[in-house]
Formats: sequence, C-alpha cells, structure tokens
Amino acid sequence: MLSTRSALARLLAVEWRPAETFTLPNGLQVVVLPSHRAPIVTQVLIYKVGSADEVHGQTGIAHFLEHMMFKGTPTTGATEFSRIVSRNGGRDNAFTGFDVTGYHQTIAADRLELVMRMEADRMVNLRIVEKELLPERQVVLEERRTRVDNVPSELLDEAVREQLFGRHKPYAMPTSGYADDVKKLGVNDLTNFYRRHYAPNNAALIVAGDTTVDAVRKLAEKYYGPIPRRTVEPRRRPKEGGPGLPQRVTRADVRVSEPRWSRDYLAPSYRLGETKHAHALQVLARLFGGTENSRLSRALVADAKLALSASSAYSPASLGITAFDLSVQPAPQKTILEIETAVAEQMKRLLDDGVTAEEVEHAQNQLLAAAIYSQDSLASGPRLYGALLSTGGTTADVDAWPQRIAAVTRDEVLAAARHVWRDEGAVTSLLAPVEGSR
Amino acid sequence: MMRRAVLGVGLLGALLATSMPFASAGAVDIKEVTTPLGIKAWLVEDKSVPVVTLSFSFAGGTATDPEGQKGVTNLMATLLTDGAGPFPAQVFRQRLEDAAVSLSFGASHDRLNGSMRMLSASRQEGFELLRLALALPRFDLEMVDRRRAQFLSSVNQGSQRPTTVAERTLMGIVFANHPYSIDTQGRREALQSVPIDDIKQRATALIARDGLIVAAVGDIDEATLARSLDRAFGNLPASTTRPAIPDWTPPAKARTQIVDRPVPQSAVRMALPSILRGDPDWYAAFVMNHMLGGGGQQSRLFAEVRERRGLAYSVSSSLRTYDKAGLLVISTASANERVADAVRVIRAEMARLRNETVGEPELNDAKTYLTGALPVSLDSSGSIASLLHSLQIDRLPRDQLDKRAALIGAVTADDVRRMARRLLRDDLMTTVVVGKPIGLVGDP
Repeated sequence: MLSTRSALARLLAVEWRPAETFTLPNGLQVVVLPSHRAPIVTQVLIYKVGSADEVHGQTGIAHFLEHMMFKGTPTTGATEFSRIVSRNGGRDNAFTGFDVTGYHQTIAADRLELVMRMEADRMVNLRIVEKELLPERQVVLEERRTRVDNVPSELLDEAVREQLFGRHKPYAMPTSGYADDVKKLGVNDLTNFYRRHYAPNNAALIVAGDTTVDAVRKLAEKYYGPIPRRTVEPRRRPKEGGPGLPQRVTRADVRVSEPRWSRDYLAPSYRLGETKHAHALQVLARLFGGTENSRLSRALVADAKLALSASSAYSPASLGITAFDLSVQPAPQKTILEIETAVAEQMKRLLDDGVTAEEVEHAQNQLLAAAIYSQDSLASGPRLYGALLSTGGTTADVDAWPQRIAAVTRDEVLAAARHVWRDEGAVTSLLAPVEGSR
Repeated sequence: MMRRAVLGVGLLGALLATSMPFASAGAVDIKEVTTPLGIKAWLVEDKSVPVVTLSFSFAGGTATDPEGQKGVTNLMATLLTDGAGPFPAQVFRQRLEDAAVSLSFGASHDRLNGSMRMLSASRQEGFELLRLALALPRFDLEMVDRRRAQFLSSVNQGSQRPTTVAERTLMGIVFANHPYSIDTQGRREALQSVPIDDIKQRATALIARDGLIVAAVGDIDEATLARSLDRAFGNLPASTTRPAIPDWTPPAKARTQIVDRPVPQSAVRMALPSILRGDPDWYAAFVMNHMLGGGGQQSRLFAEVRERRGLAYSVSSSLRTYDKAGLLVISTASANERVADAVRVIRAEMARLRNETVGEPELNDAKTYLTGALPVSLDSSGSIASLLHSLQIDRLPRDQLDKRAALIGAVTADDVRRMARRLLRDDLMTTVVVGKPIGLVGDP
C-alpha cells in the first residue's frame, strides 16, 4: 500500500505542461495549450464580464447577450454562426457565469482559422436586431424556467445568495436574470452592454489541441490583431457580504420530497478578502466533506446514521468574495436540530483539535490527482485557464497551483477554518417538503 | 454556469464544406488484445498523458432483475466498490483514494457497466482493487442499508422532477409489460425489501467472463494490458446462466398522457418505435433523425421550435437502442401556456420530413456534421474508451470508424424520406406531458 506522502511526491513529480502565453498589442491575452493526440482544436474566447457586472433592474443581460452573439454580423448572417461550425464538422457553444462569459468551438485542426475569423468578427461587428431578439428572449425565459423555476433547490439557492451577498448585489443577482428584468431588456440595452464590455483588452483567447504557439500567434494577429482596444471600466466587487448575517432561509415546496440542510459561509477568493487562505480552504473542503471518507460524511452518514450524504465545497476562482458551503441530506425521521448539532460538533472538534498531517496529505493527494486527470481532456485546460484569467489570475497562478496546494500546512488549514466558519458570515438554509406531500 | 443549448438552423447556403474534415477518420488506431487466459479487449495506446482508462461491461442489466427485485442490479453494482476481500468499505475507499484510482459501477437495461481511471503509476494497485471488487465484494450489512436508503431517496426525488416523471411515464407506456418499462433505478418497494442474499446472487448471476466486453485507452502497452486483464478478470467464472431479455412488441396505437404537476413549464417526451442498431437502414435513420432533431445546431426542430418561435430552450430527438428494442425519442420543455404550440410544431416538422424530400444542401450539411462530430468528440481518454466499448456492444468491426464516413455519405434524400415515413408515425406515437399544460388533452 502506498503511503500518502510518497503518493504526494509522485504526483508532484508528474510533468505539468505549462501553457505558452503572449499578449497582442491591443491587449488580448492569448494562451496556447498544445496537445497532439487527436487532429482537433478547441478555441475558447472569454470576456471578463458576467452577471456580477450587471446592475439592479437589468439582471440577465450578460446571459441574454451571450445568446444574441449567435445572431449575426454583416458577414455572418443571423443564425449562421453555429450552422457554419456544424457544416465543418465542429461543435460550438457558450456559457455565462458570475464573472465570465465564454464562447467555444471544437473542430478539426485545419479549421482553426475559420472559427478564429468568425469569433473575432463577432467581437466587434455584432448586430442586434428586434426581429431576432424577440423570439430569443422567450428562449432565455424558457431556459430560466428549465433551470430555476421548475427546480425548487435552485429557487432556494437564489434566496440564499440574496441573503449571503445582499439583495441586488453582485453574486446575488441570478445569472439567468429575474424574469421581470429579462422581459424588459431590449436592443439598446444589449447593444450598450456589448459595447461597454466586449473588447480585446477585456478578453482572453485560449486555444488547446493540435496546433502550435506560432500558428496561433499568426492567426490571432491576423484576425484579432486589428480590433482596436476600448476603454473598459474597472470591475467592482463589494468587500462585504449581505447585511444582518447570520440569516436563515427556508423553502417549503410541494415539489420537494427529500429535505436538504445547507449552510453557506462567506469566504475569501483568490482575489478578494483574506486571499492567503484560498489554498488552505481547498484542502479544508476536501478533508472535511470532499468524499465519503471525509470527516463530515464519516460522522453523520457512517457513524451516527443521521444523514444520507454530507459534503462541503469551496471554489476560489471568483473576482469577489465567494462561499464555503456545507450540505447535508438528512436520513428519514431525523430532525434538522439533530443535523445541525452534529455538524456543529464536527466543526468544533476541528477548530479545537486541528487536523492531522495524514488528513492534509490525503486531501492534497486527491486535489493533485484531479488536476492531472484534468489534463486528459481537451476541454478542461481551457476551462481552468478561463476561470482564472476572468477573475484576475495569471497563467503563472495555474502553473504554481500544484506546489501551492502541496505546501499547505496543518496550521494553515486550521487558520482558514477559523477565519471562515463564523456566524457573522453565515446563511443556513432548509429545503423542505410541505407536510403531507411525501 | 449557464450553457446555451445547441443552436442552429436549416437555412440553405452555399456549401463551404466541399472538402470533408477528417476524410480519413481512422485517426484512432485500435488494437485487439487477447490475453493468455482468452480475454479479448480493444486498446488505443496513447502516452501523451500518464493516465489509463478502462471501460467494460457484463451482459445482463436491470432488464434481467428478477420479479419483485426491480432495482437490485443497480444496487449491487454500487455496492461492488463498497468493500471487497479483506477491506471494509472505508479501507477500500481509502486505498482507491490513495492511489488516485476512480472505480465505479452502474447498470443500464442491458448491461452491468464498469469504468476505471488511474494514473499509469498506480496501475498495479488499480487492477488489484478491480479484481477484488469483482471477485470478492463484501456486501456488508451496513453498506447495504446505506445504499438502500440513498437509492430510495433518489427514486423519491425523481418522482418530483418533471423530466424524470415524463421519462418514467413514457417508458411505462411504450414498454408496457416488458422489463424495459421499469427504470434502471428500480421500484421503491423492491429496493426497500430485497434481501442481501439476493443482492449477492445478482453479482454471481452477471459477473462472468463470457459476457465481458473491455476497452482500454491510454498509457499502457499490449503486454501490460494483457497481464493486467488476466489478473483482474482471469479468475472469474468462465460462464454464467443469464436470464434472457424477452422480445418487445411495440405499441400498436398512439397515446397521449398528461401528468399533472405544479410547475410553470411542462416537460414533453414523445416516443416512436424505431430500428435496432444492426438494421441495414441504421445510417439512413441516423441521418434522418439528425435532420429532424439531432445535435450540432442544424436540426429542423431547433430552427422551428426554438429559433423561429422561441417556444423552448431545448428541443431534440435521439435514437435509442437496446438489445431488444429501438426508439426515437423527442424531448422538449415549454411554458404551460405555450407547450401545445410546441407539440403542434414538432408534429408539423415530422409531417414535413415524411411529405417532402429534403434538399441536397441540407442533407450534405447534416452528413458533414455527422462525419466530423465523432472525431471531434474524442477529446479525452474516457470518451475514446466509451466509443471502443460501444462499438463492441454493437458488434461492429474495429475498422468501423474508417467505414463510417462512406456509410453516412451513401445516404440519399430518398432514404431520408423513406425512413421518415417508416419511423415518424403519428399513429404510433406516445406523447407524455408533465406539468399543467393548457390546450392539450390526454387519452382516457
């Protein structure tokens, strides 16, 4: 059997493929992740704008604009973009998050120029017209119904975020937008948002797959190079969470059959708050509730049999403050009071006694292994770089991540837990069946 | 993160793609490995990342669950990694985590499936843990009780999710008295009561070398793979008596069923009897389905339901194949007030494919996409392993990927119309709508 220490050393010894990166004179940062095992490439263009950059009354605009980016320029007709990609045997899609909006295509390596030309074209030449906007607004509203309105746990999460980050504040405004806001968004709103945020100096291009840095540089200079830079306002994120914490939120819903208890704590990210805790918090989330063998799951699920599952999670890639959350699915006939008491006991135990060296190494081992596995997929490299570059990180941060995780100590994990697990930064929530509906 | 669903439209334009990408799609070099003990596996060796992925399965899935034990195969599958040999669940899991091996099992209607991913450096430990999981699973009472409770909870949750309710209702009607009618998670009562001995019996009934299919991808050579497979699978019984899955008789008439649920958006599933994977018309059906509602953002349903009318965020059709059945299933979801329109437009598009021959440019676009989409999807060792695994399940030859472009290319506009007439039959369609749809009426 392998000791965790030797496993950790072995994982660190795995060769990490550092990215090659350069920046065009107009400010567009380019990252190339060559991988020659299949003759395909993935282009990802991320803009440093997301739903946390919206304002009260215009929620959903970043996401709606993402949809409209497929609706044509003077050279690519409305509804043509994806059709051309498909016709060339490729796949494309896009995504919007709190801090980022991204567009991506995967296609035969010899078609990279085609998708680069089209992606650069819609960076400046998008035409938003009423005829395309009206039906697409219905699509966006249907998307919200599918993802949120039909899903009680998502409705509760929206309510939790409103408490945790403060109503109408970044990270509380839902990415899919409030339906009443989306219904009011028109051509001018979207066009203005596009002009304010879409620019080469507010974007990053990531190309992974069967290509070289020289080939990408040539194409990027040709297609993205001529696009002029624009003045882009600095992005703002509040340092504080919502007022009046701690708070409790309950959603009782006839559409719920199984209760869920959660607690979200405000937490620093890589970028805001006590950022020095960001790596230790990843280790903490792993060892406290990352797997079935972690503390929370062992105590609540295996030993006390109070819960069907118990977990913790934390993601540091955020421009603003973020959350460290705990989630428990109670076993039948167990009360929420029992769950809360048991969770509190585990947290207190950790805060009082700290963590063991073995636990820390075990968690580090798992985090590093996951990172190595992520190199196995063409999509995950760009996803990782995109998440960091859109939140103020650099490629050096990505490259240094394994060493930083491996360097986390027991004391740092304890200090991170003490910093984050505080009542004045907590929202406790309960998703509950309506009596008699079960 | 909000993902935009696939997007596209069937407008006809000048053909850009005169040269097909991946004209030689055989970029994947598949070797067949036969071990000293006679186990066969397909292998794609690739040393670019120090990772090995294994995808494998045994014949016999949830459709062979005994009466009164619906769900037992999936329960058994999950329990295979909950302790084996000398290691109770926590220790077994710790070993997997220490070696950074991920090993999991599950069941489809037709097969018991496993997948394993490991770093090349932990290969020995990985195959040893796999051997233990298959040969000596413990089925300790504590873990059986835990998984039982989790499965029950999951079944309960599904009964509140409109898409899951739609799917379960649809399968219940389409497969009526056939075992495929029961979803792979099984039935609540059976999950509550099935005794441990019967769970163990399921493992004995399915895990044997004669029903085994194996695919391996990554940083492992032929000789090492052969040795490792013999170690993991070699001591399993050579054969077992698996219950047969009965033949299926498709429904003889159309049916619409409304399931009332308090949600703002109705979930829709429409199913039509379709062909088996081995049918000579497979690629004609494949191209026809793609033009109707397949992926890649060009389909008619996408253009008409989503793009033109904004009636849905997602709308798609897919061919599903089972050992004993084939279905064409259309899925969408639309606000209760508009879902009747969505259903009407879908039916109109089915009729248009039956009644009008498709144009050559639209057909060519579909073919180019389908030819290119497969290599483009092979972007991780996991996806390559899944492909190798499914090719074997479908009893296709190793050079199928080389032949595929020509088979797709040979489909004509007449073939598409012929398949539309054969498959897109209003008089055989089962429609299930879950929500509070306005303007749709179910059959009594």
